[in-house]
Amino acid sequence: MRAGILLAIGVGLAAVLPLFAGSYAMSFMVNTFMFVALAYSWNLIGGYAGYTHFGQVAFFGLGAYVGALSIAAGVHWILAALASGLAASLCAVVLGGVMLRLKGPFFAIGMFGIARVFESLAMGLDNITQGGTGLYLAVVNLKHIYYVLGGIVLAMILITWRLDNSRLGLQLLSIREDETAAAALGVRTTLLKVGTFVASAFVPGVVGALYGCYLGFVDPTNAFAPQTELTVIAMVLLGGMGTVFGPLVGAGLMSGVNEILWARFPQVYLAIVGVIILIAVLYMPRGIVNFAQRRGWRWVPVARGHLRRMADRAKGSAKP
Amino acid sequence: MTQPILVVENVGKSFGGRVALDGASLEVAPGSITGVIGPNGSGKSTLFNIVAGTLRSDTGRVAFDGRDISRSTPAEICRLGVGRTFQISRLFAELTVLENLVAIAHGKSDIEAVERALGLLEFLEITQLRDKWGAELSYGQRKLVEIARALMLQPRVMLLDEPFAGINPRLQNRIVDRLQALRAQGLTLFFIDHEMRIVLEICDDLYVLAEGKVIAHGDAAAIRADEQVKQAYF
Amino acid sequence: MPVAELLIAGILLGGLYALMACGLNLVFGVMKVINFAHGDLMAVGALTTVSLVAGLKFPYFVALVAVPLLCALIGLFMQWLVIRRISDGPMIMSLLATFALSTILVNVAILLWGGAPRGLPTVLSGSVAMLGQDIPLSRLVSFAVAMAATLGVWWFLQSTRIGKSIRSVSQAPELAVISGISIDRVRYITFALGAAMAGLAGVLLAPTFASDPNLGARFGIKAFAVIIVGGMGSYPGAMLAALFMGVLEVFAGYAYGQVFGSATVFLAMLVVLVVRPRGLFGIGARA
Repeated sequence: MRAGILLAIGVGLAAVLPLFAGSYAMSFMVNTFMFVALAYSWNLIGGYAGYTHFGQVAFFGLGAYVGALSIAAGVHWILAALASGLAASLCAVVLGGVMLRLKGPFFAIGMFGIARVFESLAMGLDNITQGGTGLYLAVVNLKHIYYVLGGIVLAMILITWRLDNSRLGLQLLSIREDETAAAALGVRTTLLKVGTFVASAFVPGVVGALYGCYLGFVDPTNAFAPQTELTVIAMVLLGGMGTVFGPLVGAGLMSGVNEILWARFPQVYLAIVGVIILIAVLYMPRGIVNFAQRRGWRWVPVARGHLRRMADRAKGSAKP
Repeated sequence: MTQPILVVENVGKSFGGRVALDGASLEVAPGSITGVIGPNGSGKSTLFNIVAGTLRSDTGRVAFDGRDISRSTPAEICRLGVGRTFQISRLFAELTVLENLVAIAHGKSDIEAVERALGLLEFLEITQLRDKWGAELSYGQRKLVEIARALMLQPRVMLLDEPFAGINPRLQNRIVDRLQALRAQGLTLFFIDHEMRIVLEICDDLYVLAEGKVIAHGDAAAIRADEQVKQAYF
Repeated sequence: MPVAELLIAGILLGGLYALMACGLNLVFGVMKVINFAHGDLMAVGALTTVSLVAGLKFPYFVALVAVPLLCALIGLFMQWLVIRRISDGPMIMSLLATFALSTILVNVAILLWGGAPRGLPTVLSGSVAMLGQDIPLSRLVSFAVAMAATLGVWWFLQSTRIGKSIRSVSQAPELAVISGISIDRVRYITFALGAAMAGLAGVLLAPTFASDPNLGARFGIKAFAVIIVGGMGSYPGAMLAALFMGVLEVFAGYAYGQVFGSATVFLAMLVVLVVRPRGLFGIGARA
């Protein structure tokens, strides 16, 4: 309930923000929204299903190129973004069946390799992508991008909330905890993880296309930057993997750090991101949200509370 | 005689050159408690894993309720109505006990699943563990929760992988008591273990495995009297 | 297609990959940790070499000794600060931790050296006529030293007491503990040795390739492809795969352009991951 009210207030503020904010603040918000959306997508496969994914940026970059090329062919930018999401998901269908047979580090390295192959393709297929020169496209009105991204972020939060309180979410977590045992207990692990992988590729595709619309420019280095990957993972890790609000908290914090440091000292910024990940891994591997939930901090909504509430009710009704 | 619910026919399995199972056959009657015992390395675990679908046999077949399950995946076998526990606890550590149970309640609505889970926790007298994390539980508590989890899907046969290994006699007796109550409700139990005392006490039907072969079969009295078993075991 | 020339170029490149990949594989074997910072240690090694030789005017052979030692020290520090705390934890945490270490190394290196590429054109210049080809001296020396070091480490693992304890920790850790080997010590030695091998690779490539802090991401990362193809944990597998991948990259690069040369390495890795995940010569890998 409390979380619902907070969310409603947040949505309200975000909706009226463009009436007051200048272009600098809008840029900041657009950037933050992009990362929040990416973090929520990563959280599905990396946080819930437990597959450490170092190749999300492959879908992001693919989306950026599909978007830019569609717009160049005369498609409206919103449709182009949708097409990019579909292209990314389609690509994930093909990759998922193959790559998700790999576990742990092999999946991680494999996906990392795929991102590098995609980058090379973008660089090498220069009759389509203009190689390292990049593609230019008309910049879309910042406010429009802002609202579209805001909608995506809201949808991702609600979807994750729903997932977190559903059987499907529990089954994904069971894959993360012990895939063999989950399969032996009747969980359809292959179907679920490939499905999650495909779903988690859609938003990066869309966001990639929107990123192109925002910059007005797409090139291999920007589209497939490993630091995008790293930042997204750091956000989810810091906030709390496999939680509803972890990606939001993590992305909010990291964007703040980013804002303070990135513009002036990019190298210091990235080194600090590295240090933050290290500290999180060593001292708070479950992230801020989990940390708070375990300690029962009042302002944090309890994880997966609906089962517990249901159980309390069932017990109450059983009593005469 | 009634049709056996679980049939293992002439199953063989080798790893590299080492033969683990050499044409083992057995039958489990519905509503019975059937046990497989045997010294370490006799092929018990291999047999168990072949029945549960985590290993695939080289030769022979396994049938559940008249249906060949030799080529089925563990998930398919589970969904046919075969529940299982693990020798070393495999609870989902970062889920609560309630979530561990509800996560695998396929085909039930949430409220049905929660009610069944609460019922099972009560049946096993572990209601107080409901909101504990899987990782917080003691070894014995894990065994009990695993049994509850395997019962979530109302299996017709329950496979227990060394349910009594490494726990104290009081808890052993408690589990025996609960298993017998389950059998009274019509559940078929099939398990492997080395705890001779309990096995001889509760099994209707026993198979003794040595070097990948069934060397004796019968009720407790017959097994006690069997010369070959004495040689292999006592 | 100048087959002989390409073949030689590929094998010479493969020597460096072998040195990199064997170090990475050694660390994986003992620690079960995939060290994403391995390539960055190499970059640090290369940049330090440039500074020592071009900046401080030390002779090249000083770098050949000093830089691997420096990298070994950095490795010990990383093991002490981070790796020992996470190597027995969940795989995802060690992946993220070494990924973070990699980022830190790269960006500290950019702060120290700047992002621009640096070279050592004057060291080991000239070329040698061999097999009817003119082979640059720098490449020949780097190949020879890299192979000697790789084989030397292999000999060390096979024949010395410390080497044997490293192998037993890698193959049967429980047994190693029982037989009184200090796993902790073996891990420190292994990580330092792996880091030194990466550093040496850096020294060796400095005269041939332009070095910059992102070298690890471009060049070092291929060591991962090599150990996947050769089989995780297999030392000879990594050596053979390295030479194979070097040749593959050079041929693909010649035929389709430099960019595709690198892509081919990863494609080969993906094919092996999918078709034969334990590697062409390796042990079980779907852990």
